Amino acid sequence: MSLPDAAEWMGPGARRRRRFTWSALLWSMVYPQRGHRILPTIPGTVLIGLSFGIGTAAYNSSSNILFITLSLLLACLILSGVLSWLNLKGVTWRLQLTPPLRAGHDTVVALELRNAKRFLPTYGLWFEFTARAVETARVQRAESTVTARGIDVRAVFANADRAASHGRVPLASRLDPSGEGRIEWTLKPERRGVLLVELASVGSLFPFGFLRKDVGTELAAKAIVWPAPIEYRRHGIAAARRTAGGERVARAGAGGDLLALRRYTTGDSHRLIHWKASARTRQLLVRQFAAESAEGYSLWLRTDAGLWVQPEQFEVLVSLVATLAEDLFRAGRLLGVAINGEAPVPVRRVYDLELFLDKLAVLGPVEDAIGGGEFAARAPGVAGDGGRAPMVAKQNVMTFAPEGARGVAAYVDGQKAASA
Amino acid sequence: MDPAKLEHPTPGALAARNERPNSETDRSPVQIGQFLAVNSASHKRPQLTLDELLQLKWLLGGVLTLLGVWTVFYMDIDAWTLMALTTVATLAVLIRPTLPARVPAFVHLLAFPSIVTFFIADLWLTTEVLPAMVRLDILLLLYRSVSYRQRRDELQIIVLGLFLIVVAGVLTVALTFAAQLLIYTGCALAFLLAITLTDSTAGGRAGGVIPNAALPEADSARGGKDNAHHARTVPPGWAAHANWGQLFRRLREVTDWRVVLLGGLLFAGVVGISALLFLAIPRFQLENSMFLDRFISKKAKSGFNDTIRFGDVTEIQQDTSVALSVDVSNQAQIPATPYWRMLVLDQYEAGTFKLSPGLRRQEFGIARTGSLLRGEARPRLGAATYWTFYFESGVSRYLPLIGQFGELRFREAQNFQLAADLAIVALRDEPVTMTAYRVEGFDPFGVLPDPKFAERWRKREQAAQPLLAMQNRPVARGSERETLQRLVNEATGGAKLTAAAFVPRVGAWLRDNHRYTLAPRVPDGAGDPLVRWLNSREDGHCELFAGSFVLLARVAGFPARVITGFKGGTWNAYSNNFTIRNSDAHAWAEIFDETSGAWLRADPLGVSAGGQAEEAKGAAALAGRMDRSWGARLDSLRVFWYRRIVSFDQRSQAETLKAVKEATQNSGRRLRAAIERAAATLKAWIAEPWDARRLAVVLGALAALAGLWWLGRKFGRAGWRRLVGGHSGRHGDPVRREAGQWLARLREPAHDEGRMTNDEGARVVADLQRLRFGARATWPEPERVFRRARRALREARRQQRAENRPLRS
Repeated sequence: MSLPDAAEWMGPGARRRRRFTWSALLWSMVYPQRGHRILPTIPGTVLIGLSFGIGTAAYNSSSNILFITLSLLLACLILSGVLSWLNLKGVTWRLQLTPPLRAGHDTVVALELRNAKRFLPTYGLWFEFTARAVETARVQRAESTVTARGIDVRAVFANADRAASHGRVPLASRLDPSGEGRIEWTLKPERRGVLLVELASVGSLFPFGFLRKDVGTELAAKAIVWPAPIEYRRHGIAAARRTAGGERVARAGAGGDLLALRRYTTGDSHRLIHWKASARTRQLLVRQFAAESAEGYSLWLRTDAGLWVQPEQFEVLVSLVATLAEDLFRAGRLLGVAINGEAPVPVRRVYDLELFLDKLAVLGPVEDAIGGGEFAARAPGVAGDGGRAPMVAKQNVMTFAPEGARGVAAYVDGQKAASA
Repeated sequence: MDPAKLEHPTPGALAARNERPNSETDRSPVQIGQFLAVNSASHKRPQLTLDELLQLKWLLGGVLTLLGVWTVFYMDIDAWTLMALTTVATLAVLIRPTLPARVPAFVHLLAFPSIVTFFIADLWLTTEVLPAMVRLDILLLLYRSVSYRQRRDELQIIVLGLFLIVVAGVLTVALTFAAQLLIYTGCALAFLLAITLTDSTAGGRAGGVIPNAALPEADSARGGKDNAHHARTVPPGWAAHANWGQLFRRLREVTDWRVVLLGGLLFAGVVGISALLFLAIPRFQLENSMFLDRFISKKAKSGFNDTIRFGDVTEIQQDTSVALSVDVSNQAQIPATPYWRMLVLDQYEAGTFKLSPGLRRQEFGIARTGSLLRGEARPRLGAATYWTFYFESGVSRYLPLIGQFGELRFREAQNFQLAADLAIVALRDEPVTMTAYRVEGFDPFGVLPDPKFAERWRKREQAAQPLLAMQNRPVARGSERETLQRLVNEATGGAKLTAAAFVPRVGAWLRDNHRYTLAPRVPDGAGDPLVRWLNSREDGHCELFAGSFVLLARVAGFPARVITGFKGGTWNAYSNNFTIRNSDAHAWAEIFDETSGAWLRADPLGVSAGGQAEEAKGAAALAGRMDRSWGARLDSLRVFWYRRIVSFDQRSQAETLKAVKEATQNSGRRLRAAIERAAATLKAWIAEPWDARRLAVVLGALAALAGLWWLGRKFGRAGWRRLVGGHSGRHGDPVRREAGQWLARLREPAHDEGRMTNDEGARVVADLQRLRFGARATWPEPERVFRRARRALREARRQQRAENRPLRS
């Protein structure tokens, strides 16, 4: 889901060198570059007004003193532009979005900065970040706003603006020549889904604050925001099937059976090194043992639009499923997961759980959710149970149903196991 | 960690979090936004803290305030008290920045109404707009300097100071303005830079430099008035521990000489660009519709008025400041002793010569406004000589001229009156700025033809005209007249002389009986003081000599009058112009010669009309007046300012463009000619018979060029890197550079995976990387590392060759 350019160095210093031409140089001095926006600030407006006033007085009085003052003011404006250009020259940045992102939790959006100039530092930049959810639902048809009333258009823009999170982080200190720095923006995604984090622009008032320069960037990164964890209440399950003795499960743990070999990482015990395999492959491998589990559950989530009418209730459902999945996985009791009619997926590794959370992040109600799910066909106590043998779990299938107007309950083999 | 994978939440993100709980991703939540300097390859220079930046800003604000209010020194506006008060207050708050917190709160409340009331009262009482505005400006600066400033207040300081400097410049057109404007611009730019850096360092907290930056809620919720009140009455932290010595030391520490050098070059560039803009801004000759000096009435400072008492000119002579600078287009026309006439005084009463009302009415035409006036002198054959005058303010409203002229052109339109027969031009008001005018067709020989007066003089018997009598009326009666008659007889030996003969005879008699002094003594007694002095043998100054000559001439029956102005001057060897100082002020006489129908100059203390024609002119005349002193260097700057800046107009612009064009064309022509000459020389040299010596010369030259190229490549690049790399050490340090070269060499064989994975290879690479990038304190011994690197490279290449051999076979 990531955009490849997010990790690349971008900015004025990262542009590829074009063939030098005088016309291009002159044109770049006259006309702002693509994506650049220059606006006068209050001091800049005062300076421009002052220049106009002094110019008018100079022409009216033919006073060379006023012409000199006018020339000096205009030269200062030129100097301001040159210094601003020098300030941004050689500066590159790249976005770092640190996963995992979870709704309601702080996450750090980092921007790495690099100043490639030899002896000139960079000062006084600020970075404007925007984060907004990518609507994966239907794309609305584009409509002309020519006939729309201004108030409506403003309302639309205001809504869009509210839906996005904005942040502005200043470069508080000097970015030294040939130095690097890091800007961090703490973001709290409100909703699950796909989040697009953009570096909207880089602004500067350097050096004299006459002109505000905004350099537009196209730096963006997409990231998946997992559902927010939710507090839920657990209920005792009398009919939950328990196995006698340790049943080996195909998941890494502290059991006695060898599960797999993996590469040695720092901190691994030397006792775990599999010397024979290491000698064969010429790289250090360590043994990984299987976990032992007393009981396990399988989660089966149905997102029938007819069943989950309330959007808020659906969000509670997704959050409850995600929370339960994580809790069960941590406890070593999550065997598999399935969504609607999709094939059940055994959860043996963290990777499996993350895939499941990714799906939950973008999940929405569907019209025909009961379809031909294998849990539906095989799990006992579930409507449509055909008595066939389940692939992942024969019992302890956790299903979910609305509870009241807002709540959600989780059932294990027809018994309420948790509610939120 | 590959950053490309970081924004991807899966796979492995949760695993990473679970398995490595202390990793970077699990750091505790940080503030909303922050900057971390994570790595700086260059030597880390210290950086000014926020408090130090605020102290610097306060200091620069004070300096700007002082620069602004000190314009009062040369503006000649009655604001000395306010200026002194502002200076003292600004210096006090600079020394003790906590003082503004002690200003009572009611002062801030009453400040604005009080200042407005003061301005209105000032305007009402003085009825002069500009001085009132200047005083208002200084008051505002005073208030801003004694209170803690917000961003808009700091901008106010810049604008208020600029106003004062521009007004002073326009009013005085002084060279001081240029220097002050440059200094002020430099300080203002530094001040604005400090504001930007302060706001940036504060991250928008210090006044919202970042537009729309979110302030802390508590701050925004607090009332604006409360904030302002709090900000004014509580000394901020930076003020409490301000230490200017410490700040300067810190400034020296944080300053990189290369940045300072670049800043200096950029500022020089600003000056250069502003000079180019000044030359390039299109000019239009608009008539004056607005000028600041109309808002101010200035009192005359000099003694060159319509009335001169004895001693006035001598008083002016005490002043050595420049009164007049004159450019002359043809130096051959310059007389050895120029007399710069300003004023004709014909009426004498009790020790005072003045311009009589009758002569004024008769000779001075109506007041006109314009920039061109034509005189009585006839055009001469040959190239015209232009005399350009830069007449300083505060001398007189009568313009110095050396005689009758053909045409006089002001740089700006002026209100003036012309007395063509007297060769006098009077401005309506005494100019408050330097007045520039150019004169063409001067008659510099001390003879002033006056046919109208001659006609009237000839017909004086038929119709006596009282106005005419002003210039020949005997100025004494009774016994004094007898005394004067006796003295004339004594001087002339009783002979009836012509005017031309009368002048030297009486002049010599005066010099024989009186010596020149700047401290004259007039004998006590009754009657006319001039007659008393004339009848004595006391020493006297130029006014007494000139006045005595006029009395004697009139008693002898010659019309005569006193002339005031300047005599002589020095020739500035650097700027090639006459510099006439107030100390050159002089008074002399003019006597009417009936024979020629002209007024002859009669200077008992100097050169009279007859003698001037015999004096040397041109270079020989200037030789004795050459001034090469340091003062002349400074004066040349002033003349440059007047010539090239103040007097720059549409015509000058066209002339400049023409000069640039001609210079470009001439340079091109010269370059082409030089190239052609060089090519011809080379061709001829090649065509000559070759021998061993010539061949050796060519080969030697080629070898020298190659050597230079090699030296430049080897050391020039390194020197440049050292220059621009400065403290970075990575590029400039030879150990680091060599380590980088070894790493690059080792990278080539290491492309084959596993080549450098053997222990020794990896260790060498690690050591080289430490030499290249690591702190100096952690370096292994470089030479040993390089030797190991050489061995490792050799080994790697040997392995590569060994692996390639069976493949080829």
